[in-house]
Amino acid sequence: MPEQQEISLSILKKRWLKFKTLKRGYYSFVLLVILYILSWFLPLLVNNRALVLSYEDEMYFPIISGYYAGSEFGQDVPGETIYRELQATWESENSENWVIMPIYPYSPFEDITVAGNKMYDPPSNTHWLGTDNTGRDVFARLCYAFNISISFALVLTILNYIIGVIIGGSMGYFGGRFDLFFQRIIEIWSSLPMLFVIIIISSIIRPSFFLLIFIYTIVNWIGMTYLMRAEFYREKSKDYVAAALSMGQTNFKVMFKHILPNAMVPIITFFPFAIVGGISALVSLDYLGFGMPPPTPSWGQMLDVGLQNITKAWMVFAPISALFSTLIMVVFIGEAVREAFDPKVYSRLR
Amino acid sequence: MSKNTLVDVKNLSVHFPVHGGIFSKRVATVKAVDGINFSIDRKQIVGMVGESGCGKTTVGRAMINILRHVAPDVEIGGSIEYHFGDEVVDFARLSSSEVRKYRSRVQMIFQDPYASLNPRMTVAQIISEPLQLHTNMTNKEQTERVGWLLDKVGLQPEQARRYPHEFSGGQRQRVGIARALATNPDLIICDEPVSALDVSIQAQVINLMMDLQDEFDVSYLFIAHDLSVVEHISDKIAVMYLGDMAEYGNAQDVYHQPRHPYSKALLSAVPLPDPSRKNRKRIVLEGDVPTPLNKPSGCAFRTRCPIAQPACAESKPEFKEQAKDHFVACPIVE
Repeated sequence: MPEQQEISLSILKKRWLKFKTLKRGYYSFVLLVILYILSWFLPLLVNNRALVLSYEDEMYFPIISGYYAGSEFGQDVPGETIYRELQATWESENSENWVIMPIYPYSPFEDITVAGNKMYDPPSNTHWLGTDNTGRDVFARLCYAFNISISFALVLTILNYIIGVIIGGSMGYFGGRFDLFFQRIIEIWSSLPMLFVIIIISSIIRPSFFLLIFIYTIVNWIGMTYLMRAEFYREKSKDYVAAALSMGQTNFKVMFKHILPNAMVPIITFFPFAIVGGISALVSLDYLGFGMPPPTPSWGQMLDVGLQNITKAWMVFAPISALFSTLIMVVFIGEAVREAFDPKVYSRLR
Repeated sequence: MSKNTLVDVKNLSVHFPVHGGIFSKRVATVKAVDGINFSIDRKQIVGMVGESGCGKTTVGRAMINILRHVAPDVEIGGSIEYHFGDEVVDFARLSSSEVRKYRSRVQMIFQDPYASLNPRMTVAQIISEPLQLHTNMTNKEQTERVGWLLDKVGLQPEQARRYPHEFSGGQRQRVGIARALATNPDLIICDEPVSALDVSIQAQVINLMMDLQDEFDVSYLFIAHDLSVVEHISDKIAVMYLGDMAEYGNAQDVYHQPRHPYSKALLSAVPLPDPSRKNRKRIVLEGDVPTPLNKPSGCAFRTRCPIAQPACAESKPEFKEQAKDHFVACPIVE
């Protein structure tokens, strides 16, 4: 028997190989994953604190240890050291001391209270995408907001999926009264006007990242239950489930070891679109002003400020293009995933 | 009841309530199985035949206690007493958690080899699952056992890493047989194991099952609707009609001297490759099988029976031993 035939690929592996051949989706996926991983190291890449600093033969790591008053390094400023200026001064003095700054030496929170920052500074070599109405660097805020948006969407989607799979799966698997009871609860729950509920809650409590996720999860878990209920309902009557039960497998194992792998198609194909939904949800809440608390960098808030200052084009274009390109990449991924899961090889939407 | 009895089914009935209306009131009952009696000895093959919808599969699923999974409100009456060594266990009474530790003793082979194997698991994972549940084998021992079992059912041990969709129907059914044999069960319920296969493959699979029965000392409850297949394999034959047992006895007796009019009709429909018997009388039954929702009074078969009498509508015929080990539910032919 030839060696090749011995290795069998699982269906998911085959789909992954097909996904890799769909260049647009695959490259979007790779790019987004790389950007998202990089975004976790943003404090090292985009920050106004020095990475390493040598002052009078002593090493300092402000990026880790945090606040140093300017006077500590012989700088005549009130409050924290301005490392960019320190670097410029020491370089022009040819001094023994040196500073290594991050690649992009501006922080998303640094506004006009820091000397040298101006409001509505148009894009330039120093501020790549200019500054906003409080003198904060738009590019730095854009990068940090990317991390927050994607993290928000990921955590939200995964939480929704966990709850949706457990409740929807149990509804389909156990059926009977349990199913009936949760169907009615879901019907009542889904008829609440959720945007208003969120607006009311966030006008009472100051929302944070996890509170927003919590609120959105309470609303959004329903979507997955419909799909999972149908999948489990269909799969549970198949003979392989009866076989697993007849050999003494527990309900839990049957649900998650036998049925769930066969019910993955809606989970995976909906994932990118759920991410799109999550990002848009946060942007719209931030835009309306009920989202993350103010100094947090967010695309929605940037969009809001940009529209108030519509003559400053960079303030509008930056968040819009960031949002647009992120969403379109996620949609490309979703499209490729759909095609990778399509059993018909030649049906193409390209 | 002899000492050799493995399972004794007494007065087994399986009723599915039907609900309707706004308040889900019980409006009817499907009497899928309505009081049947039979027993299976150790190392015995009992064939069970009947038309579609007569309750054969339901009997099999009741005997392995998985009916409640699909229909939680099913009503199971009577008893299914298994004799495992000195223990007597009634599967009709046990809950699904109590029955778990006896699961390794009774296994099942399913009709559709395409649906009975999980498409996301390799053959090795499928066959080793009962081993993980019921034995303390290490991974290496499991792999060895899986290879050995695959060899026994006529597959190559190297094929263990493949997925079910890479096999043909006959090969898949062999995988199903290997899975059922994995824990050395006492009884295997074969729910029409060859109906979904080609005729040429059917013969191979049946011969394989007979060889394995010898080797593993296992009993079969062989459910089928093809009497010639059942006659070939069985020691005893049970004929079912609409949830009732019409006739039960030794295979030779039932096949060659059927007593119940339904068995006679069923047997006359078996195609025989024997020109000397081409003039045999073909009994054609009139009408359709009545619905189990609303069974005829008295004898369920009387609406289609060629020898029915007015008395048949009055009371259910007694399932009586008319000759030695030959039970018939028809007082007229006695």
